[in-house]
Parts: sequence; C-alpha cells; structure tokens
Amino acid sequence: MKFEPMYQDGKLILPKIELDMTSNHSIGIITDLKRKQLLMNQLQDHSQYYLFRAGQNEYMRLTVEELITFLIKVTERNDHVVQLMDYFALKEEKKVRVRNLPSSKRMYVTLLRAFFAHQPTLVLEEPYFYLEEEDRRHFKRILDDLSKAKRIIILTSNLEDALVSCDAIYRLNELGFHPLDIRDSEEEKQEVQEQDQANITLQKISTKRNDKVILFDPPEIDYIESMDGSILVHVGGENYVCALTLSELEQRLLNFGFFRCHRSYIVNLQKVREIITWTKNSYSLRLHTGKDAVVPLSRSKLQELKTLLNI
Amino acid sequence: MSISLKRAQAIFVKDYKEFSRNYAVSIMLLFPIVFAFILRSAPTPLTGAFALVLNTSFVILPCFTQACLVAEEKEHNTLRSLMMTPASTMDVLLGKSALTFVMSAVVLGITTFIFGYEPASIWAFTAAIIFSIILYTAAGTICGLFSKTLLEATLSIMPVLIIFTVAPSGVLLADDFPIFKVLDYLPSSQLVHLLGIQGTGFTTGELLKPLLIILAWTVALTIWSVVLYQRRLKDE
Repeated sequence: MKFEPMYQDGKLILPKIELDMTSNHSIGIITDLKRKQLLMNQLQDHSQYYLFRAGQNEYMRLTVEELITFLIKVTERNDHVVQLMDYFALKEEKKVRVRNLPSSKRMYVTLLRAFFAHQPTLVLEEPYFYLEEEDRRHFKRILDDLSKAKRIIILTSNLEDALVSCDAIYRLNELGFHPLDIRDSEEEKQEVQEQDQANITLQKISTKRNDKVILFDPPEIDYIESMDGSILVHVGGENYVCALTLSELEQRLLNFGFFRCHRSYIVNLQKVREIITWTKNSYSLRLHTGKDAVVPLSRSKLQELKTLLNI
Repeated sequence: MSISLKRAQAIFVKDYKEFSRNYAVSIMLLFPIVFAFILRSAPTPLTGAFALVLNTSFVILPCFTQACLVAEEKEHNTLRSLMMTPASTMDVLLGKSALTFVMSAVVLGITTFIFGYEPASIWAFTAAIIFSIILYTAAGTICGLFSKTLLEATLSIMPVLIIFTVAPSGVLLADDFPIFKVLDYLPSSQLVHLLGIQGTGFTTGELLKPLLIILAWTVALTIWSVVLYQRRLKDE
C-alpha cells in the first residue's frame, strides 16, 4: 500500500509512505485532521478500500433489525439476520429505531457498515471516538474477527484508540511517518546500572530546539520518549530534543520521582493520573497535563510500578 | 453495468419504510386527492381543471418525493456509503424510482377516479401519465442531486413547479410575447392538449404528437439524471 507525497506551500505535509500490510493485519495511524483527509483522498478506489468517514450517518427511521436486513440484502450476503443480531449483541435494540438509540449505540450501529464491506482493506476514521466502553468492546471484537480475513487501517488522533485494536501503530506528523514502539520489552534487561552516585548533582536537563539550548527543571517534564534514536523531552505538550540517552536520564531523574515505564519511555510519576488496562498484558499511563497524553507501560514494569506506588 | 433486482428491491423496501415514517414528506401524497375534491365542483371546463390538478400533482408527487429521497441520502452521507456496496448506480436509481412510480401511479389513479374524467383514448391517456411520471421522477432526481439537504430539496423543486406547471397559462400570452410560444412545447402544455381531445372526432396523429413530445422530454431528462448522478458521485 502506497501513498504519494503531498506538498502545501512548498512544505512537505505528507511524506511518501509505503506500508507493508502482509505481516500486520491491523494498523493504526495517529495523525491530525488534515493529514487524515489527505490520506483518505488517496484511497478513492471503491474496489480496493472501504472508507468509513467520521461524518457517516444512518437511516434514522429504520429499526435496527430492518437496517441489518437491508445491509444483508444490498450486499447480497447469505447471513441470517437473527444470527447476526446475536453476533452484534443488538438483540435488545432489535425493534428500536436508529434515531431513538443512545448516541453511542447509534454510532456502533453505523460502524457495522464496515462489517458488510466486500473490499479487502477497511479504512476507518476515528471509529472509537463516540463509543462508550461496552460498545467499544463489541466493536473491537468484531474488528478482531474481521482482521483475520481483511486488512484494517484505523486513522485516529488518539493513541488510546489505536492501542485498543492495532497490531502496529504509526505516528504521522510534521516530523514524518514513524512506527511507534509498543512491544513489551521483557528480554531487554538494563545493564547500565553501575554509575557513580556521588557526582550526580546536576539539576537541570538541557535540551535543544531551533539551535537554542533550553534548560528544564525535572518537575516540569511530563515524560521522555525515545523515537528513532533521538530523545524527545515532552513539556506542556511540546517536545524538545535531548542529547542524553534514556539510561543516563533515568539515572539522573530517579530521585525526582521519574520512572522507566517502558523500554523507550520515562514518565514523571507526579503527573500520572490513571493506569489504563487494555487487555491482560497491555497497559498505559494517562498523564494529567495540559494536553491529554498517554504513555505505554510494559507488563514487566507494572509490578515495579505497583510497589513504588504502594498499590 | 449490472442490474440486480434483489438489490434494487432491498433499496425499494428500505426507502418505502423510511418514506412512510417521514410524515412531513409523506403527507404530500394526500395533496392531489384533496385538490381533486376541491376542483371537482369548479365552474371551469372539466378538462382544464383536471389538467391543472395533474400538472401540479406531477411536481408534488414524483418530483418532490424523488428529490427528497435522493437529498436525504446525501444529507446523511449514506449515498456515499451505498456506493461502496456492490449496488450499482442503476440499482439505486431503479429502487428509488420504482417506489416513486408506484406511489404516484396509485395516487393519480385515485385522483382520476374522483374527477370522473373519461379520456378519448384510454391507451394514449395511460401512456401520457406513465411517461410524465418517469419524466418528473427524473426531474426530481436532478433536483435532489443539486441539493445537499432535505430542506434544500424542497426549495429546489420550485423552478420545476414554476416552469412546468405555469407553462400552459403562459402560452395564453403568446400573442403579446412571441417568445412564450416555446412554452407550448413543454410536456405540461402538451398534456393539456392531449386531455383536451374528447369525443370521437380525433385522428391518431392528433393523439400521437403530444405523446411523442412528452416521450422526447422523458428520454432527455432520464439520460440527464443518470449522467448527472454518476458525475456527482465521482465528486463525493
């Protein structure tokens, strides 16, 4: 799967992207509204891609059962309505008109159009955005089943949504198109522990941005991320490049309540608001900073964190 | 382009349910019947009043209904999603037009019965009605495609209402304004001519001329609506 590069005012806003879809059956791309539109505009081929755009609405006056019947007939599938209603967990809403459903359920029913797509690739824009917990679970289950036979691409601006059901996650922004490392890293034990404790007295973390050196007090920092070999220090929604390695930073910041929650993340525990459990072995931490930020948490680090926080 | 009757039927059933539950629009079906009751006792010559009822009903029934069906799908983005199913352009248009056609035919049948109109040739009359329903359905599709919401669709049929319904009256001014002679070739004016032929003193040629003009309009508007439909969907 390929995307052509796009320029605006002489600036590259969409780099040339080549996605290898053979190994991963569901891919999440975290990006902004404009880039989502640009990506979808390149997927106009109705025989290859089923596009689900965020503005999709539904036939409001049909009941849920009538709608599913219509979708079965119009796509000429051989499914039986009753079985599908069971599968979708919509038995109780069978006779309810779409317009009378609660908004999360209505969105869920609308999303079911993706289930009926005959195209080999499904592209969904913000599928989880309006869904409540329960509908989210049902839709994730349906997507997981679909991904056995089809390729699924989820376009979202929210890392959390991509984490729910994607095998691989990419981030597309002004810095380019980069894979996001969310694998568990049990195999990587940190060997760099032996450092002289006495000479760590430096309080400031020095970062660079636009050729300026900016010094941050450790409590200001939200979290630190390693991306493509460079270290990004996130402060108040902005990021700054730091020359130190993650292990060095971990050593320095240990006494300031920082925690190495993942192979490529260090988080300021003072700013952690919530530990999110996705599945039995995938977790993330939500920070309460100005911008809503989510940081992945390795399974191997969970116990360590629990003892640190006395929970 | 493949046509699947099963898919067209699914669209027909779905649109029937949607339409019948949208009371704001479906109440319009009663309009020609009420209109017929009011004008039945009018002092004007019977055929003139009947032609007026028919010409107005054509705009309100097939044209308005079809415009609403198309525009509502556009408003909810369901048309775009329908295009990604195996249903082809013709399936969608066939399903919708069939619904409009059936509803219009039933209501106009009732209207004719209430009026007690007896045409000179029942075959010519039926053919003219069928051609006209298809013609105004195509006009409705075009109106629907030009509007983005249901509200816009109700306004977009105004030009059709003005041009087609008022044309027979406009012809009366042809002596003062020669340009208005063109209006005589509109399908609504031709329908008035056709209805005017009564009794036994008529030739086949007299019947055939209005019929052929209406048929020409039907073919032209149908082709335009299908082409426009395909063009609009590419833009989406």
